[in-house]
Amino acid sequence: MNFELTNEQQMLQDSVARFIQDNYDLESRAKSAASKSGFSQDHWQTMADLGWLGLGFDEADGGFGGGHVDIMLLMEQFGKGLVLEPLLASVILGGGALKRGACAELKTEILPGLIDGSRQLALAYAEEQAHFDLHDVITTARSKDDGFIINGHKSMVLHAGTADQIVVSARTSGGQIDENGISLFLIDADAEGVKRENFPTVDGLQACEVTLKDVIVGSNRLLGELDDGFAILNNVATDAILALSAEAVGAMEILYKDTVEYTQQREQFGHPLADFQVMQHRMVEMFMEYEQCKSLLYRATMEAAQGSATTQRTVHALKHLVGKSGIFIAENAVQLHGGMGMTEELRIGHYLKRMIVIDAQFGNADYHLQKFAA
Amino acid sequence: MDIELGSEDLAFREDVRGFFAENAYKAGEDYNVWRLEWFKKAAQMGGWDVPKWSKEFGGPGWTPTQHYIWEQETATATLPWDMPFGIGMVAPIIMAYGNEEQQKRFLPDIRARKVNWCQGYSEPGAGSDLAALKTKAVLSEDGTHYTVNGTKIWTTMAQIADWIFCLTRTDDSGIKQEGITFLLFPMKQKGIEVKPIITLGGAHSVNMVYFTDVSVPVENRIGEEGKGWTYAKGLLQHERTGLAGISRSIVALEKLKEQASSVKRGNGSLMDEPSFRAKVAELEIDLMASEYTELRSLASASAGSAPGPESSILKLKGTEIQQRIAKLTVEAGGIYSAAWGRGVGHKFAKAGMGGYLASRAFTIYGGASEVQKDVIAKNVLGLKRSTT
Repeated sequence: MNFELTNEQQMLQDSVARFIQDNYDLESRAKSAASKSGFSQDHWQTMADLGWLGLGFDEADGGFGGGHVDIMLLMEQFGKGLVLEPLLASVILGGGALKRGACAELKTEILPGLIDGSRQLALAYAEEQAHFDLHDVITTARSKDDGFIINGHKSMVLHAGTADQIVVSARTSGGQIDENGISLFLIDADAEGVKRENFPTVDGLQACEVTLKDVIVGSNRLLGELDDGFAILNNVATDAILALSAEAVGAMEILYKDTVEYTQQREQFGHPLADFQVMQHRMVEMFMEYEQCKSLLYRATMEAAQGSATTQRTVHALKHLVGKSGIFIAENAVQLHGGMGMTEELRIGHYLKRMIVIDAQFGNADYHLQKFAA
Repeated sequence: MDIELGSEDLAFREDVRGFFAENAYKAGEDYNVWRLEWFKKAAQMGGWDVPKWSKEFGGPGWTPTQHYIWEQETATATLPWDMPFGIGMVAPIIMAYGNEEQQKRFLPDIRARKVNWCQGYSEPGAGSDLAALKTKAVLSEDGTHYTVNGTKIWTTMAQIADWIFCLTRTDDSGIKQEGITFLLFPMKQKGIEVKPIITLGGAHSVNMVYFTDVSVPVENRIGEEGKGWTYAKGLLQHERTGLAGISRSIVALEKLKEQASSVKRGNGSLMDEPSFRAKVAELEIDLMASEYTELRSLASASAGSAPGPESSILKLKGTEIQQRIAKLTVEAGGIYSAAWGRGVGHKFAKAGMGGYLASRAFTIYGGASEVQKDVIAKNVLGLKRSTT
C-alpha cells in the first residue's frame, strides 16, 4: 500500500496545477466559453504540446503510456480550474473507444492527430429514451454492401460541434435494451446525413443533438466486433466516471477552501462569519465529504489500474458519493457565501453548475446507488 | 377543531373559482390591459385586488379560512403578474406607521399598480446583520430634507422601480438598531445610480444602488426619526411568512410528478423508481404538515394575537421544500437539465435548471436560514445566545 506519487506523477501534477493557476481565472474562462468553439484553441494546443492528450494511450499508439493515476491527477487539477477544453470528450470518450476498438490501421490514421491536438473526437452514446442506460439504443446500423447505413438520433453529445469524427453507438441486432447487438462506428462529423445542433450547457461547455439520416459508413470504421460494442462502451464509461470524479474532487477542494477563506473575511454581527459555530460545523462537514470522496476516488482509481474484479462496483459507489457530496458541498458553499455566492461574479456558483452536470453525466447518484445495491 | 368547510366557505370558493375562470387571460389579449383590468375587477369584488389589506384600507377582511381558500386557488389559477414590494411590503408599513397624508398620497397608486416599488434594505456590509446598515441620511439645518449617501445591494427590480422604501442611518451614537430611519423617495432622480448584478442563471433582477447626495423631503419619512428598525422588523416577519409558498409548492410537486411520469424508465417511468418515488413522498408528507402549520399561523394572526411559534418555522420549511422540488426537477430531467437556454429532450428540462439555480437564493434572502434559526432559538425557545 502506497499513496506516494512517483517523481513523474508529481511533475505532472505540478505542471497541470501551474497551467491552471496561470491561465484559468474566471474572466479568461468566460471569454473562452463565449468563443465560437467554446474553449481556447491555444490552451488546447498547449495541452497537446505538454503531452496531456496522449497520456492515456500506449506508447505503441503514439501515446505516453500513462495510467489511471495520471489521468486522475490531471483531471483533479482540471476540476480546480473548471477547464473547458474537450479532453474528456475527445480523448477519454472518443479516444477511449478508439484505443479499445479500432484496428491497427484505423489507429494509425486517427490517433496521432488526436494526440497532437489537430483532430478532435466525440462520443455519441446517449438517446432520449435511455435515461442513463448505455444499452438502451434505438439508433440502427443496417449492413449494406461493404458497410453500414446508420439512422437515429443521438443526444447531448459533448463537444460534437467542434469534433472531426464522432463515435456512434448503434443497434445492429437485438431488442432496444439488449446489451448484445450494439456496435460502435466512427463517422465523419460532416458526412452526408449528419446534422449537428450545437448549444451551450449550463456549466459553460457545449453539446450537440446529432441526427443521423442514412449515414453511410464503411465496415473498416466498425470499432471492435459487430454486436459487441457494449463492453467497449461500458469500459469507456468507467474511465469517464473516474475522470469526472477526479474533476469533481478538484472542484470540491476549491469550494470548501474558498468558503473557509470567505467566512473568515466577511463580518456580520461584529464577528467574522467563521466565528459562528453553525458555520464551522457546516464547513467541517463539507471538508469531511471532500476527504471521503477523495478516498473513494483513490480506491476506485487504483482498483481500475490493477484491473481488479471489484472495479465496476467501486465505480458505482464512487459516482454515487461524488454526485451526492459534490452537490452538498457546492450548495453549502453558495449558502455560506450568502448573496455573493449567487452571483456570476464569484466562482462558487460556476462550480455548483459544474457539479450538477457532473452528477447528471453517466448516471446520477440515485442511478449508481441502485446499481451498487443490485 | 373542525376541518370541514362550511357552506359559506364553499360558496366563497365557488365565487373565487368563478372569478378566476371568468377573468382568465385569453390568448391574443394585450397583457397589460388585461392585467390592470383584472385588478380593477378584483377591487369591485370587495378588495380582492389587495387580499391582505385590512378592511379599513379597502381590503376584504377575510377569515383565515377564506385566506386559505384564496391561497389554494391562486396556486393553480394564472393571476396577473404582480410585485410584492408595493402591495405586500411598503403598504402595510404606511398603513401602520405613516400619517394620514402619506396614506392618501401613496396607497391609491400602490393599489392601482401604477407605481413600482423596490426595497432598499441590504448593504454590502449589512446582509444577515441588517441593522449594521450604514447608508447615511442627514437632516438639513432647516429641517426640510434629508441628504442620503450610501450603497444598497440585492435591490430587486431597482432597474424598473419608480420609488424605493429605504432604511437609512440618522444616528450612529447608540446601539445599531436605534438611529435607523425609514424614508421613501423616487428612484428616477439625480444622485441615484443602478448597477445590475447578474446572478447564476444569467438573469438580471437584483442590483447595486448607489446614492450620492440624494435629497429627500422630510414629508417622505415614515413615523419618527430613528424608529425605522421597529417599523421594518414587523414587515420582515410578514415578508418571511409570505416566502414559504406552501400552496405553490403543492402545485409544483404535482407538476413534478407529471414530469417524472413522462420520463420513461424501462416499461414504466421515473415515478415508478423507488428512490425517486420516496423523495417525492417525503416532500408530500412535509407539505401536508406545512399546509396545516400555515393554517394554524393564519388562524392565530386573524385572532389578533401575535404570530404563534409555528409561524417562525414557515419560511425555513417552505424554502427548503421549494429547493427540494427544484432539485428533483433537475434530477428528473437527467442529462437534459444540462442543456442551457433551449429545450432538448424532456420538455420540462429547459426550465428546470434555471429554477434550481434561482432556488438556491431562497434560503439566503429575507433572512438566511442560519439567522432564522438563531431567531427561533432566542425568541421561541428562549435560549441565550452565546457570544458567537
